[in-house]
Amino acid sequence: MNFEMPIVRRGMLARRVRPAPVAASVLATLGAGALLISGLSPASAAATAYRSAPHQSTARGAKGGGTVTFAEPPNATPNAIFPIATAGNTAAHNSAIQAELYVPLTFYDATSGKLAFDARASVAKSIVYSNGDKTVTVTLQKLKWSDGSPVTSGGVEFFYNLVKANKAKWANYVGGQFPDNVASFTILSPSSFRLALTSTVNPLWFSGNELSLVTPLPQQAWDVESSGGKVGNYDTTTAGAKAVFNYLNGQDNHLATFGTNKVWKVTDGPFTIGSWTTSGAVTLDKSRTYDGSDAAHLSSVQLLPFASADAEFNVLRAGGLDYGYVPTSDLSQSGYLKSKGYTVKPWNGWAINYAPYNFNNPTLGATLKQLYVRQAIQMAINQPEIAKAVWQGEAAPVYGPVPQSPPSAFLSATQKKNPYPFDPAKGKKLLESHGWRPDSSGIMTCKSAGSGASQCGSGVKAGTVLDMHTLSESGSTQTTNQMEVMQSELSSIGVGFQASYAPLNTVLSETAQCKPTQASCSWQLSFFGTQGSWYFSPSPNGDPLFATTGSANFGSYSNPTADKLAVAATTSANPAALRAWSSYLAVQLPAMWLPLPAYQVSAIKDTLKGVSQDPLAGQTIQRWYLANG
Amino acid sequence: MSVGRDTVVRRFLRHRLGTAGLVVIALLFAFCFLGPLVYHADQTQTSILAANPAPGTQGHPLGTTDVGFDELGRLMVGGRASLEIGLAAGLLATAIGTLWGAVAGYAGGWLDAVMMRVVDTWIAIPALFLLLVAGTILRPTVGALIVVIGVVSWLVPARLVRAESLTLSNREYVLTMKALGGSGARAIGRHIVPNAIGTVVLNATFQVADAILLVAYVSFLGLGVPFPGTDWGGMLSNGISYTYDGYWWMIVPPGVAIVLVVFAFNVIGDALRDAFELRLEGR
Repeated sequence: MNFEMPIVRRGMLARRVRPAPVAASVLATLGAGALLISGLSPASAAATAYRSAPHQSTARGAKGGGTVTFAEPPNATPNAIFPIATAGNTAAHNSAIQAELYVPLTFYDATSGKLAFDARASVAKSIVYSNGDKTVTVTLQKLKWSDGSPVTSGGVEFFYNLVKANKAKWANYVGGQFPDNVASFTILSPSSFRLALTSTVNPLWFSGNELSLVTPLPQQAWDVESSGGKVGNYDTTTAGAKAVFNYLNGQDNHLATFGTNKVWKVTDGPFTIGSWTTSGAVTLDKSRTYDGSDAAHLSSVQLLPFASADAEFNVLRAGGLDYGYVPTSDLSQSGYLKSKGYTVKPWNGWAINYAPYNFNNPTLGATLKQLYVRQAIQMAINQPEIAKAVWQGEAAPVYGPVPQSPPSAFLSATQKKNPYPFDPAKGKKLLESHGWRPDSSGIMTCKSAGSGASQCGSGVKAGTVLDMHTLSESGSTQTTNQMEVMQSELSSIGVGFQASYAPLNTVLSETAQCKPTQASCSWQLSFFGTQGSWYFSPSPNGDPLFATTGSANFGSYSNPTADKLAVAATTSANPAALRAWSSYLAVQLPAMWLPLPAYQVSAIKDTLKGVSQDPLAGQTIQRWYLANG
Repeated sequence: MSVGRDTVVRRFLRHRLGTAGLVVIALLFAFCFLGPLVYHADQTQTSILAANPAPGTQGHPLGTTDVGFDELGRLMVGGRASLEIGLAAGLLATAIGTLWGAVAGYAGGWLDAVMMRVVDTWIAIPALFLLLVAGTILRPTVGALIVVIGVVSWLVPARLVRAESLTLSNREYVLTMKALGGSGARAIGRHIVPNAIGTVVLNATFQVADAILLVAYVSFLGLGVPFPGTDWGGMLSNGISYTYDGYWWMIVPPGVAIVLVVFAFNVIGDALRDAFELRLEGR
């Protein structure tokens, strides 16, 4: 049965959002599309909903070439090229650049309002499911590497072998999923391969959430174990694949050499690296060797770093950027920007926002494992008020693990309703009913240790102080204000809360899964959601975030019931499976749900055309062009 | 001696700008430390639905901040931290520098050379850089800021006092005391430091002014007093985000306060210098 779909990409992002009318309609359609797909057979789904995105060719009046300047998110700079992302390297701006250099196996886009397989931005031409959805056959389109070699199924197998041997290091790995769920990888021809799966899968989920993680790699250039080493077939053995991965990952750690390292010069995408500074300034040059159907129009694109949103806005206001963003505190300046030739419009996402608790923190882990503690904390956070006042209405509350807005078939009634509305008095009472009393500074202290109904709970020692520290990303006044408001609100129920700030890359690298005995387990709460914490694939499965084996389960949340629901959602095409997940985790609070800001409120120069603001957070820079005049 | 002290005070008071500076400092201290006793505003709990109304509205004479704090009350709280840190750090720097310089100048020889090379090395590193490094290592508190700013600011007074100490340690009364078996500590404590007090006091005023500016710098860079506390530099930094929104009340008041206090301490220093120099001339 043919199933020409796929759907998106999973990515740990740092972006922002909000339910603007335009975006709401975009996402509503996406949600409806996903629901429709879920209820259909793969074949009919392919015919109904998954079609190639309309090609925006260079319009009449456009001029080829030219350079465009683009603002990177505040205090968040790209720091990785290697498409097999490791922890700390998963930010959206990394994957956006990688997709311009290394064409992913599948690329999905929802800019048009409907989820669509973007064939021109993908290596895959078709994906066919057979054998009761246990066998997947993929055919590739014709493309070549910059060294002249063709892009083949061998490059996909190379990716598969590296991931299989190094899955613990792969940031997108979830136990039991890709590559664990692939029983065999068979090359049928240079342009096709077959995957035999260990069990039946939900095709929507597998194409959209699993195959979208795969990027064909230049095996003919990268299959080496050391610098200057001879190219071989080392990836075919586990030891060899480990050595190759370590070599490539090692090259990926040398930020200063990204612009010159010959490893990264072999690409198959529409762009190549012109320069890359350690401060995060990246220039992408049009690839002269790209032979696909999606060549870049611009000669180069400059991605510019900024220490803060305010710094970026100063440059934008002076006309120094072709594509920037407006901090929500400066939305009153939209009229001025329009008068200077910019179009201002929000970029909304299919995402959620949350702050993970570290359940393995040696000081507070046992306390945070108590559901009543998490409930009390959640009841103290006034999300609607924060969204309205701090984010100037450019954010929307989040009450569970699937995108809250727009309503979709995946959103449970429980999550939609908000099981824990703002009620600090109730939250405080909840703590007090479990043996917590405020100390002289007003912070709750466990006075009654034990696992009884009126005691602090299993593992919580008497004298434990409910005083949390969070590491938050810096660079945004709104994020700082949100942290200050949260500190104030939590103090009203006797929960201490202090925030310190660091650049996004630092926050992501320090928010690592850990054992209580490890020094790296000192973090208690982390926030990296100035632009949204997590952007979903079309099927908003959150297993990477909250399944026990999830690669992005930073806080080591572990709940057998949640794990079973996560598995069910990957095998069933019925959206009820994801609704069950949504309902259960909305109640269980595996993380602190927080308002989701827009990815950004973009300011785009009127002369820059071809820009799409994909709710899935993908970018197709190759389609940007400058209009004449 | 009492006649001399009276002369210093009188000469200081005749310095109009210096006197005005003293009055300004006194008023700012009263505003920051006594103001909250008569003007009550919650400075620990945010009130975001009351964020950013203009001055004079909703019972807020100077408007509110972006998270709903009353700006006038915030100015008092912030000023308290700025003055506390500035004063304490300035005095700490002066104390360290005085002791260091006095010992180096009195000891002379290799110890003097080593101690002053330490000063030379330390002074070659920009204070702001050291503060930023310290700010990333330490969690900023009022106490930590006092220590950190004091520790990076003692170098100038050390040099000045060392020069005084070199001269004073060769005075006859110091040599006599040494010949009678007096210890170095006694020489420094009883003779050198008291006789360099003019230089020390004068420099202390500039140290305080500089320390207040340093607090503003580090706060502007986000390393100041942690929330819900604040200081004038932090308030200014926060207000700058709203420059284009016209929220002048978040920028002008803390900015003016910083300028006023630094200017006041500087003119006090000028007045003190004039007063001490005239005293010396009188001798």
